[in-house]
Amino acid sequence: MSDRNLTIYLLVAIVLAIATVAVLLAQPGDATKTIVVYTSVDQVYSEPVFRAFENETGIHVMAVYDVEATKTTGLVNRLIAEKARPQADVFWSGEFSQTIVLKNKSILAQYQSPSAADIPARFKDSDGYWTGFGGRARIFIVNTALLTPSQYPHSMYAMLDDKYPGKTIGIPYPMFGTAATHAAALYCYLGKEKARTFYSSLYNRGVRVVDGNSVVRDLVADGQLAWGVTDTDDACSAIENGKNVTIIIPDQGDGEMGTLVIPNTVALIAGAPHPAEAKTFMDYLLDRKSESVMVASGWIQIPVRDIPGSPCINSTGIKTIPVTYQDTYDALQPAQEDLIGIFIR
Amino acid sequence: MAISLFFRRFLAGYTPETIVITLATCLFFLLLLCPLIGLSFNLLSAFMTGSVDIVSPLALSPRRMGLLAASAGLAAAVAGAGIIIGILFISALFRFPRKLLYGILLLLLAIAGIPPYIHALTWSSVMQSAGTILPGLPTTGWLISFWVELMALLPLSLFLTWIAFASIDIRLIDAARLVHSDLSVLRHIILPLAAPALLAAFGFIFLICCTDYSVPSLFGADVYALDIFAQFSASNSAAQAFLYALPLMLVTLMVMIACRPGIRTLAQTPNWSLVRFGNPPIFPFWFRALQAGVFVLLLVQILVLFSGLLIAAGSPYAFVTSVLMARNELVYSLLTAVLVIIISLPLALAAAGELKKPGTRGAAAWFIVLIPLAVPAPLIGIGMITIGNLPVLSGLSPALIMPALVSVVKFSPFAMIILFIQMRLVDPLLLDAAAVFARSRTDALTRIYLPLFAPGLVVSAGILAALTLAELGATLIVAPPGHATITMRIYNYLHYGSSSDVAGLCLMVTLLTLVVCTGTILALQHLSQDTSPDIEEPGP
Repeated sequence: MSDRNLTIYLLVAIVLAIATVAVLLAQPGDATKTIVVYTSVDQVYSEPVFRAFENETGIHVMAVYDVEATKTTGLVNRLIAEKARPQADVFWSGEFSQTIVLKNKSILAQYQSPSAADIPARFKDSDGYWTGFGGRARIFIVNTALLTPSQYPHSMYAMLDDKYPGKTIGIPYPMFGTAATHAAALYCYLGKEKARTFYSSLYNRGVRVVDGNSVVRDLVADGQLAWGVTDTDDACSAIENGKNVTIIIPDQGDGEMGTLVIPNTVALIAGAPHPAEAKTFMDYLLDRKSESVMVASGWIQIPVRDIPGSPCINSTGIKTIPVTYQDTYDALQPAQEDLIGIFIR
Repeated sequence: MAISLFFRRFLAGYTPETIVITLATCLFFLLLLCPLIGLSFNLLSAFMTGSVDIVSPLALSPRRMGLLAASAGLAAAVAGAGIIIGILFISALFRFPRKLLYGILLLLLAIAGIPPYIHALTWSSVMQSAGTILPGLPTTGWLISFWVELMALLPLSLFLTWIAFASIDIRLIDAARLVHSDLSVLRHIILPLAAPALLAAFGFIFLICCTDYSVPSLFGADVYALDIFAQFSASNSAAQAFLYALPLMLVTLMVMIACRPGIRTLAQTPNWSLVRFGNPPIFPFWFRALQAGVFVLLLVQILVLFSGLLIAAGSPYAFVTSVLMARNELVYSLLTAVLVIIISLPLALAAAGELKKPGTRGAAAWFIVLIPLAVPAPLIGIGMITIGNLPVLSGLSPALIMPALVSVVKFSPFAMIILFIQMRLVDPLLLDAAAVFARSRTDALTRIYLPLFAPGLVVSAGILAALTLAELGATLIVAPPGHATITMRIYNYLHYGSSSDVAGLCLMVTLLTLVVCTGTILALQHLSQDTSPDIEEPGP
């Protein structure tokens, strides 16, 4: 290598190094107000909300998104690890149990938003650490090319019915995400022994256990499975994409247990660097108008207020499983430990 | 006075260069140990508060023992099969003209950057369709998990096998070919000579496969890595997860230590730039049939993957749109990769010499280098955050460079090993001559040291860039607010079910990997033209 070449390479390397460090260390100017939001809500749904908030208030949102592949070990554990030096202002979760985990670990601060005044009390933490709003439900996604309407399943117990071969049914690993919350609700409702028998039977009859709700959706939409359990947002996205699938809300008959409805939750982080802006954002997010927008965007299918629901499913009068969010949370860790022994072996 | 005297005595015999190298080495090792220190700190705090169960994670239950054995078995099977296919493939291409060989390897490496999960979804769909014609094809379980892992890691297996073959002195092979058949030469000369390097390749593939849960879990095959995440998810305790991870870390560490002689063998390669083109080997029919089978297999893998991605990506307009929508993530990913290279290369170069030290010092260096490779990715992120939260560091705000730092911790050991190999290939007499005759230190650095180490630096830079672009687990834990990498975006879209965007971004990652690999090879060729008096390679 000639001296000239080497000098050029070195110069390029030095300029590149300085430019990279400069760009990465560049902080937003003080003139712009900012907040940091950690969210487990899909970027395609949450980003438009952030942009609309920015346009309305001039406060810049810096978001950190979770991904399903990290198995609920992403943002929540990051918030726990950052407890001594919080980076986030707001935690916006697509469900409630992980938010209660954060409350119990003293990661959250109390804030009762005036925008949430018309949200029913059962969706709000009694101590004011978090507020719930419109959400999703656990449902069956059914491939309409593989099953006729008369064959559609209507109860969680259908998964144990011999007329559906185990390998044609899919569930996500019940130790992670909303599937874990659903399992905890079932443990709570059925009792530990019955719930354990139910899940052990699923395992023993070879029901296909896959990597997440979106995988259940993809496998059913692709015809690799006849039906499976997932969330309404996943199923609705498949319907919007023109797949041959339909949604069945399970256990809606008389004497049946109903299904789990999972609200979004939002909470203020204790020691948040930008508390005033964080409260402004929470007020915006919890506003009735925002809930309507998120119904229209497809993120929320079950609004908590009296507003039109998603066109994807008829959520009017949906029968929910009669357990409280706190009871479900209390059952979460024991259920997860039990299910690890059943499903990972 | 006394302190001054102490330092003067302590520093006696140290030149400014050795002081800089020593400090850089200490800094590098400290950086590599950061996650482990952070996790140990977490564990200690949890132990002091009584919030961690130490017995259960370490006393392996029959269930977890079975998972560990199954994980190790799957990883060993994938690594073993990958090496066997690699041997069949490379033994056919070994004597090809360099440009043709590089072209084929490039094509394979380009698909190495696609997340294994995409391979899994594509193959799952293919097997399902094929199952309608051939009933009985597995769609769940260990067999398909093995197959998809093998397909996903095949590019890496072939590349590492080629490195193992390229580490053999070609003159020994040519001498043997005069008196023995090509198959006999392969069995009795090439494979024994390449065995240590193939063992190292086995170790790397084993390590990657053992720590991946995404592919097996899609097909209902449970592995130990999934159990770690399940425990982490249930307990929300990094300390607890760390304890659960220890048995797997121990297994992977043992395998990596067993593979160490192979890495040392690579470091004794006579001349990497030697032209290997020659008369193609003549193998018996059955062996050629096996080689042909491997070629068909690779063709199928490439066709399955790309046809799936191209169909899903839709029109060129849709592809451009998805790339444009991810432009911020693309820029941030590239900047992070550049920063990883900038931080890693000088530190790894300074510390590489420690790997050849004899006795405890060398063993300790190897241990420190191999440890980050065995720690699960999210725990690396948690460990780094714990260190970043220490009061002494609270004045710093390294959030924006944290993704680069976790990638440095995870991947700079590869750079260090490559530079160690490069260091062994440099004639020490040249370095001694530089020390004696150079006009100045700058002169020696720019005219002697850097040109001599340039090939290793270029290869390390290419590998660091490719690995950083594909990182997810640790980056997600430390990504600064408002910034995301391209891989994070892919997984986000994957959950949403936007298959066209996922496919578009995967194609872009493939193109990026192709650019990085091509750039690396071109730079290497340029450097070898400058420094090597090699004979001209004849045309095909």
